[in-house]
Amino acid sequence: MKILVITEQRQGKWNNTSFETLVAAQQIAAATSGTVSALVIGKDVAIFADELASKNVAEVLLIEHDLLENYTPDGYCVALKQVIEAAKPDLVLFPHTYQVRDFAPKLAASLGKGMIGDCVGFRSEGGKLVFVRQMFQGKTAADVTFTGAAPWFVSFQSGAFRADLLAAHPGGKAPIKAAKVTLNAGDIRTKPLELFKEAKSAVDLTQASLIVAIGRGIKAPENIAQVEALAKALGAEIAASRPICDEGWLPMDRQIGSSGQTVAPKLYLALGISGAIQHVVGMKGSRTIVAVNKDQNAPIFEIADYGIVADIFEVMPALTEELQKAKG
Amino acid sequence: MALQREQLEADVLIVGAGPAGLSCALHLANLIKQHNASGAKPELSAENIYVLEKGREIGAHQLSGAIMNPSALAELVPDFAKTAPLDTPVTDSAALIFTQKSSYRIPITPPPFNNAGNYVISLSKLVKWLGGLVESAGVNLFKEFGGAELIYSGDGIAGVITEDKGLDKNGKPKDNYTPGYELRAKVTVLAEGTRGSLTKQLVAKKKLDNINPQSYGIGIKELWEVLPGKIQPGFVAHTLGWPVSSKMYGGGWIYGLQNNRISIGLVIALEYGDSRFDPHAAFQTWKTHPYVCNLLDGGQLVRYGAKSLPYGGWYAMPRNYIDGGLIVGDSGSFLDSQRLKGVHLAMKSGMLAAETIFEALKKEDYSAKTLQAYKEKIDHSYIKTELWKVRNFHQSFRNGMLDGFFHSALQQVTSGRGLFDPMRAHAGHEAYGKIHGRPAPERFKGDGKLTFDRLTDVYHSGTRHEEDQPCHLKVRDLNICATRCVEEYGNPCQYFCPAAVYEMATEGGALKLKINAANCVHCKTCDIADPYQIIDWVVPEGGGGPNYDGM
Repeated sequence: MKILVITEQRQGKWNNTSFETLVAAQQIAAATSGTVSALVIGKDVAIFADELASKNVAEVLLIEHDLLENYTPDGYCVALKQVIEAAKPDLVLFPHTYQVRDFAPKLAASLGKGMIGDCVGFRSEGGKLVFVRQMFQGKTAADVTFTGAAPWFVSFQSGAFRADLLAAHPGGKAPIKAAKVTLNAGDIRTKPLELFKEAKSAVDLTQASLIVAIGRGIKAPENIAQVEALAKALGAEIAASRPICDEGWLPMDRQIGSSGQTVAPKLYLALGISGAIQHVVGMKGSRTIVAVNKDQNAPIFEIADYGIVADIFEVMPALTEELQKAKG
Repeated sequence: MALQREQLEADVLIVGAGPAGLSCALHLANLIKQHNASGAKPELSAENIYVLEKGREIGAHQLSGAIMNPSALAELVPDFAKTAPLDTPVTDSAALIFTQKSSYRIPITPPPFNNAGNYVISLSKLVKWLGGLVESAGVNLFKEFGGAELIYSGDGIAGVITEDKGLDKNGKPKDNYTPGYELRAKVTVLAEGTRGSLTKQLVAKKKLDNINPQSYGIGIKELWEVLPGKIQPGFVAHTLGWPVSSKMYGGGWIYGLQNNRISIGLVIALEYGDSRFDPHAAFQTWKTHPYVCNLLDGGQLVRYGAKSLPYGGWYAMPRNYIDGGLIVGDSGSFLDSQRLKGVHLAMKSGMLAAETIFEALKKEDYSAKTLQAYKEKIDHSYIKTELWKVRNFHQSFRNGMLDGFFHSALQQVTSGRGLFDPMRAHAGHEAYGKIHGRPAPERFKGDGKLTFDRLTDVYHSGTRHEEDQPCHLKVRDLNICATRCVEEYGNPCQYFCPAAVYEMATEGGALKLKINAANCVHCKTCDIADPYQIIDWVVPEGGGGPNYDGM
């Protein structure tokens, strides 16, 4: 069986699931008396191919092209399709990464083939390969096989194989073969922008020492600007009770309470928040709680250190103005 | 291109891990074990039985009073008395008449209220235990998966599709998106409990309704820890009268549990005419009765919950077998509305379904003709004996309590026949009177110690849902809510929902229905009691919902 492993690297760094997938390939090769080819795709990535050549593989295929500098699903599919058609592997393996999830099904479909994604293991049963996938959130496992003709496409879950079991090349180095591909700018319909890393959470309210929180009393999303002004004057973060985030007036990571974050700032200024228990459990540990609400019977006043029975639309501008004055 | 789902095939797929579904699974696994041990062919496997449960844990969505008649459990698990988590045997049963200021115990407790030989239990605990037995028997039990859609095949059904996971509010896939599985089975057992969302579809599509539409009630419950000595474990009381008006059908319960715990609740039939009646508020008011208030004084609320229950009985029982499918438990109307007992009937129905399926597996014939044996088994079991006696019971109370007592007394001496047999029923939502511009009543607030507002109670239900998912309460026409319903009925959803899910909010000067789906405790009242029948309760992402641990 001829096995081809599509490895993944980006910005000079390996995706380590690539090595785990190579281990899977070596084990499948051992079980089926097959051979393993490793493939590196990108621009200026010969150094990665070189590293792979020291592993126990029959050959390393290197696809380099200017248009492959940045990952695009079209670029990868067009290039890989040509190489797969030329090399004629029986089995094409991928690490199950986000990038693979993006392009591998498209690649398989472009060759009219199926794909078994996110596998955690394999067995060889009488010459037929059986792949194992988890189902029901890991509660049970399913055996899956291919019915059609090769090549077959399979991706392996991160952690399914141990990268440290990767065998080195017995005779020093495997040959590196440059694979020629024809790729035109017109093949690529997407234009990658600069890579960025999404911040884990735009705001970590648990670290904020001052919080201005709003509830239903804010009435409409256009009134949030007033709160922002107050928060800015105070140097505080903005948070909210559930109805506000539920409406999408503020992002969900600003929600305080049983279904949001739990905070304990030095000052918690609750504006127009009634104080339902769902909210209170998320902020009752605050050092000082100041509540403003029109309804003097609002439960928030039971836990507030200072309470103002008033319309928040009178209190907010006044407070903002005083704070600005005090700051000079 | 249509979404391709992963397919799995089972012999038997049971939707819902409650008393009925789990009894079906366990009994079938036991029958298969005996069958295989005898060397009989074809060899069967309990591993080919799948059970789906939408709750986070087995038992998480189980709510009942509960007093259990142990008859079915004794058949299913003969040594249950030693191993099952039965809280306490009933030691004294009382029937109390409440007036606003006082209470009166009926000197000789009427037979329907006599619970000698029964147990006070936490249904959640019992079901959790039963789930353990089912798993040990080799059955595949999948929690956090709900049945979202039925797979129809010919005249019957061939399995279900589980709910999609990882969709956002607008139905767009998120990072963790996993499409639901297509689970195909030779026999699919609908054990969804009261007002099952798949059962509702199936009954409508295949016209399985009986002569009466199903009647429902809503039960609202609180579990309290009270001061020592307030109540004897095993003391059970049912209350009639205040604050339930004689025009309504309903009453309260007080059950003494071990460790100074007490289960209290109020059940009201969902056929009251006042569209702005608030069952949760009625329950809170009931707690202020001196008799109840004295018990709770100095105590603490532990947990809250609500659930609807099917009152309709025999004449509302849908046809419960079709090609490749059976309906068991509350989904199939197996509840005695006179004694308010359904757990043992649900379990028995599950066991009879198991026996029917076992025969079908041996014959390899899953047609309605073979599965019809289920109905025959029911007719020859104590299910029919019990339900037949009270076949006209609930219908008698259509015109209030007094009328009801008259009819039910007659039925008592005529083996259930009474003055009219069958006595017809109407769907409860048809009973609402129009508001004719009358102002809305003031909402109940609660004192925070003895009585609570709905949000506080909902907090104590432990309910939790992934917030960023499509709303699981599908309102087919939001225009009706903002126009006709405001005029005609004053938006009853704001009142009947015991979890404050529905509220009419003003947005830019216009009224708009706002659905706080994350509060939902899965009681199904909205699906039942909406006057226009435009609310469809569908399963949310698996794992969402209340946590009725100990309830």
